[in-house]
Amino acid sequence: MYRYDEFDHALVRERVEEFSDQVARRASGALTEDEFKPLRLMNGVYLQLHAYMLRVAIPYGVMSSRQMRRLGHIARTYDKGYGHFTTRCNIQYNWPALTDLPAILSDLADVEMHAIQTSGNCIRNTTTDVFAGAADDEIEDPRPWCEIIRQWSTIHPEFSFLPRKFKIAVIGAGKDRAAIRTHDVGLQIVKGEDGETAFRVFVGGGQGRLPHIGQEIASAVPAADLLAYLTAILRAWNLLGRRDNIHKARIKILVASLSIEAFREEVDKHYATLRHEDLRVPEDEAERIKAYFAPPPFEDLPKVSGPFDRAMLADPDFARFARNNVRRHRQPGYASLVVSLKPVGGVPGDITADQMDVVADLAERYSFDELRAAYEQNLVLPHVKLDDVPTVWRALREAGLATANADLATDVIACPGLDYCSLANARSIPVAQALSRRLADLDYQERLGPVRINMSGCINACGHHHVGHIGVLGVDRKGEEYYQITVGGSPDEQAALGDIVGKSLPADEVAPAIQRTLDRYLKIRAEGERFIDTVRRVGPDPFRDAIYETLDATA
Amino acid sequence: MKIVTANRLSDGRVIYAGAGNQPVEQLAQASVLDEATAEIVLADVAGRPDVFVNPYLFDVQDRTPSGRDRLKERIRSAGPTVGHSVVGGVG
Ligand code: HEM
Ligand code: SF4
Repeated sequence: MYRYDEFDHALVRERVEEFSDQVARRASGALTEDEFKPLRLMNGVYLQLHAYMLRVAIPYGVMSSRQMRRLGHIARTYDKGYGHFTTRCNIQYNWPALTDLPAILSDLADVEMHAIQTSGNCIRNTTTDVFAGAADDEIEDPRPWCEIIRQWSTIHPEFSFLPRKFKIAVIGAGKDRAAIRTHDVGLQIVKGEDGETAFRVFVGGGQGRLPHIGQEIASAVPAADLLAYLTAILRAWNLLGRRDNIHKARIKILVASLSIEAFREEVDKHYATLRHEDLRVPEDEAERIKAYFAPPPFEDLPKVSGPFDRAMLADPDFARFARNNVRRHRQPGYASLVVSLKPVGGVPGDITADQMDVVADLAERYSFDELRAAYEQNLVLPHVKLDDVPTVWRALREAGLATANADLATDVIACPGLDYCSLANARSIPVAQALSRRLADLDYQERLGPVRINMSGCINACGHHHVGHIGVLGVDRKGEEYYQITVGGSPDEQAALGDIVGKSLPADEVAPAIQRTLDRYLKIRAEGERFIDTVRRVGPDPFRDAIYETLDATA
Repeated sequence: MKIVTANRLSDGRVIYAGAGNQPVEQLAQASVLDEATAEIVLADVAGRPDVFVNPYLFDVQDRTPSGRDRLKERIRSAGPTVGHSVVGGVG
């Protein structure tokens, strides 16, 4: 895991001091809210419906046990005993007091964490594949490159006043588990013609009000030139991006309006000069950073495990967990475990302080002290010995963290919606909860196979509804909550935006309508087809019929 | 009729302008004002940024939030409508 150097430490500490002073001046009335707001946003502090909200960065979603315990400590001491993991691999606290924020940031700094650039018009926390360094289909571990991007982008003077926020995601495998084409820039590690590491680059993806799927701008940027190329993209957008209209300021709008070809020309102009400057990533520096992400000291183990296989036979609940939440590992005898934060009827992404401690302990004992935050609002124990999986599972189950629904229908992504968020039109959590209760039967969910259901409480799309296989968007109709349904979105290497199926539904109709959609799929699917495959084959019409069938009958 | 609301500076909690334009926590204690008075109270609390952050008005009928922000103000006054993942929930 990457360790802070003296510069990182000094920078974060200085920021805590500075912000403590700003908070003190705000509390005394010396600063007005208008003066204070940009300062608090630079430190991840929003003001929401009921309280301040603090968003903490988890660089590329990687945490140690010590960091996770500290997140738990903060939840227990300064919040209401829980935290909320987001689709951006951050954690949010919903109830901190203004006057506690300096203490919280100081607690975070102790464990090399902070909230810098988790808000505002800057380069946000770079995200990656939650199985980075563990997946068996990986060409190369993307995390060192995320770290290089982190160092380059943190408080970068040229990029401190961008037209809008900017999000980068990196993957190291052909399979996209980080939704890179919904990011401003998506990077995929490939091998160049010479066999050297290079990056396939997508640009102009994003969700929100005007969703776009990222387009390929370069097929193989040499690794040493990655920062030059990224700088060229940001510079082109910084110079040409619209600042007159907040909704048109994102790079996706620029790319769409110029065309990818014209935007590529702009970028190439800057790249031609930048790539020969000191932006080249020195090989020894890249190697030094890679060393922090060296594989942990795995044991040489056989591919199969007696204790694992025996537990599969002995306990159907364990077998189910093994089927749905255990992922293949590149190292024989190991696996990655998805820790579901989606219990039946729960709030997607919520975890209590005590649960954080449990997961931290398990990571320390069984996963080389490593934890990951997944964009699906779950956690992952990346490197667990197969022999230990039954033990870990029992401990997770005791803590209410072993719901065997990873990637199944109740693994719902949902933003906080109108229960917390001041921008929302409608609630999303209660709708997700109703759906979760309705589809709770795991036999049914397994019969359905993988289905990605995503909900957002407004068009900002924090819940990724555009790229859900089924998407749910809260809209306001004269003070009433209504929900628009989309079908056919996809966040992965076949990224697509869903089609809106028809008029929006009242809250209590959403879960039944989704269940009818899923039932329709079971009726019409071909052998071996996943839900999304069937949607792609037959289009949205059969699902539209299913969604509106009862409604039409009563209309 | 209207009520003046804001977030409290110290902890961000929802507050209302009550008797004497003092901050109160319960919607039930908020002053219900006619249009003209509401504007005056709003201006008054806006002048106290050490307590009232982002003050604004919303419509009520019989003290119940109405109009465009009906749902939002109901949730602001009563708290989130959901618990969290732990059975029993918290505050
Ligand atoms: C409650 C406080 C939050 C606020 C005020 C907020 C605000 C916003 C806004 C204004 C946008 C639109 C940006 C644009 O289109 O340029 C946005 C987008 C987004 N937010 Fe949030 N958000 C919040 C919480 C969350 C949470 C909890 C998540 C994850 C569950 C999240 C993840 C995202 C994502 C993934 C996008 C889409 C970005 C894109 O592709 O354009 N946000 N948010
Ligand atoms: S999608 Fe809208 S409602 Fe949901 S968190 Fe984002 S801004 Fe808030």
